[in-house]
Amino acid sequence: MEHLELFFKSIFIDNMVFATFLGMCSYLAVSKKVTTAVGLGAAVIFVLAVTVPLNWLLDQYLLQEGALVWLGSEYAEYDLSFLSFIMFIATIATMVQLVEIIVEKFSPSLYNSLGIFLPLIAVNCAILGGSLFMQSREIPSLGLALTYGVGSGIGWFLAILAIAAIREKIRYSSVPPALRGLGITFIITGLMAIGFMSFGGMLTGGDEEKKEKNTEATLSNNLEKESKVTSIISAEKSENEEVADNIKEIQN
Amino acid sequence: MGLLSKKDAKLITDPLTDNNPITIQVLGICSALAITAELKASIVMSVSVLFVLGLGNVVISLMRNIIPSKIRIIVQLIVVATLVIIVDLVLKAFAYELSKTLSVFVGLIITNCIIMGRFEAFALGNGPWKSFLDGVGNSLGYAVILIIVGFFRELLGSGTLLGIQVLGDPIEKTGLYAFGYENNGFMLLSPMALIVVGLIIWVQRSRNQALIEEN
Amino acid sequence: MSKKTDSNSYTMIFAIGMVLVVGSLLAFLASSLKPNISENKRIEKQQNILYAMGVNENDESNAIFVSTSVAEQEFKKYIKKQLVIEGDNFTEDEKAYMIDVKKEKSKAKNGGTRKLPLFVGEKDGKTFYIAPIRGKGLWDAIWGYVAMDENMIVQGAYFDHKGETPGLGANIKYRFFMDDFKGEHLLDASGNFKGIRVAKGNNDPKNEEKTDYEVDAIAGATITGDGVSAMIKSDLKLYVNYFKTLKQ
Repeated sequence: MEHLELFFKSIFIDNMVFATFLGMCSYLAVSKKVTTAVGLGAAVIFVLAVTVPLNWLLDQYLLQEGALVWLGSEYAEYDLSFLSFIMFIATIATMVQLVEIIVEKFSPSLYNSLGIFLPLIAVNCAILGGSLFMQSREIPSLGLALTYGVGSGIGWFLAILAIAAIREKIRYSSVPPALRGLGITFIITGLMAIGFMSFGGMLTGGDEEKKEKNTEATLSNNLEKESKVTSIISAEKSENEEVADNIKEIQN
Repeated sequence: MGLLSKKDAKLITDPLTDNNPITIQVLGICSALAITAELKASIVMSVSVLFVLGLGNVVISLMRNIIPSKIRIIVQLIVVATLVIIVDLVLKAFAYELSKTLSVFVGLIITNCIIMGRFEAFALGNGPWKSFLDGVGNSLGYAVILIIVGFFRELLGSGTLLGIQVLGDPIEKTGLYAFGYENNGFMLLSPMALIVVGLIIWVQRSRNQALIEEN
Repeated sequence: MSKKTDSNSYTMIFAIGMVLVVGSLLAFLASSLKPNISENKRIEKQQNILYAMGVNENDESNAIFVSTSVAEQEFKKYIKKQLVIEGDNFTEDEKAYMIDVKKEKSKAKNGGTRKLPLFVGEKDGKTFYIAPIRGKGLWDAIWGYVAMDENMIVQGAYFDHKGETPGLGANIKYRFFMDDFKGEHLLDASGNFKGIRVAKGNNDPKNEEKTDYEVDAIAGATITGDGVSAMIKSDLKLYVNYFKTLKQ
């Protein structure tokens, strides 16, 4: 269940492009055609799916404070976290180099259309961001790291697919010349991001404390209301009794 | 500018307009969105990028003939990361307060596509002095956009500039607020930064018709 | 590119050479600068704790700590004792302020007993109880110190963050936010812990209502604000038992 939750959270709520604006450079530059966008998106999913778990292992067993304990207990004090950036970047750059070789071999046309943005995946803030978030949010297990990597990748993929599709269609609309291309893309992305903010309300679980508090609050409110109502009723009752008594007195 | 030849001077002025890293080259967008809610942060980030890009361009240019082509991306990244970490460590030791302001940006600088982009496009093929100028020029171009976006976002979003209330006090309802003006909190959110940059591009391309994209 | 730089053996040699150079450069820097950095961090902790209890050099609108040169003396002057609470026992420890809250939290997660530092300060005849708190903001960790009186009414607060957005989440360390916490109650009338919520739609921007258990949120910094509420609740709740013993 945790996995499913993290999966959906990383696609919609923590969407790499619309919530944290990572990976914008390639996102904006490669979204002119749906086919190239799909190619880049797939590459991003692959790289994230491999690097996030790999970097998780690095963080657990090498970088964190006390991580080197497995070498011997005298190493428990070592804190290599200042090397995090470099180690993460090294794994990412290696993976990207691998992807570059594979793409060049199997689809030279894709390789050409991606141009400089394929090697730029290595510095794509989304990829590094994925690993850094994995570290700062202290994702507890390898399996969850994998889920997070794949989910974030899919979120980015959906974003670039959406904007590419819109950009292809918008070529037939009458956009003011100076806004054509990049300008209108920025504005559309901004609007899509505003739309995605609505997912923030879709918080699933993990908010049990908040829910508890809310239910407590509503319960106590209800109790208060109840007691108020009962006091009103009893007040009314006693009023009625008084009136009834008065009437009886008058009648008598 | 007696010591800069015309060609050299162009290296600095081009990125300010026709070859702007953000609006034309489409690099460095992430940071332009993330930190421009505050004008001061835009300025600090611009200065940091100026330093890292200027120095980095020189280092890569000096190394350009010995970097093996197969691993050049990794090497570039390591150079940037090392520079940034060195700056961060030195600041932490000798100017702790300043380092706290900057540590937020450390990650953003390392992954700033502008730096990698300029290494690839310029420093790898040119001498150190020219590369330095190119670095300076692109950082200034980046700074211009960041400062414009930061200016509007902070002014319209919080009514302040560099932390100082310039439109009056929103809680006491003085100045403009006395007429019912309210801060547009939306401007503080990142999607608005995207829209402001879109508008800047609109203005830029209207002024320079040559930049308009063919359909 | 000359042929020399394309060969595999050259690539390997260069790569290894680079790793060695960069690795040793950074390791050298990190270890030689470590004492400076640790000292800076230590003094900062003292400044933060003093700030929370009101020992600072604030001007009209800015939060200014006592200067680094006098921080150590001021700390010794105003902080009368430092306690470490473990379960039901508490001991005095001069180094309590150096306890790593992050480590203690993970200890507790793995089932151990967490060490809770509490600093007792005195100023102008009033006694302050200052506790460290730590949590998660939008991008990275956030933490702070909350100073309370014996009824767990906040006397002052200091918040800090590792990487929140400048202009938005980063504003939790600005006066307008931290000052809002002064005077807020943490316990209800019967002594139950209620915490303080950073809330939107608070309807009390000047924060005059001190028993609403709420403080006005920062526009555009919802998640950071939620992180502040969460860390106040999770960490300060652990001190309720100690405050109960004070009453006895």
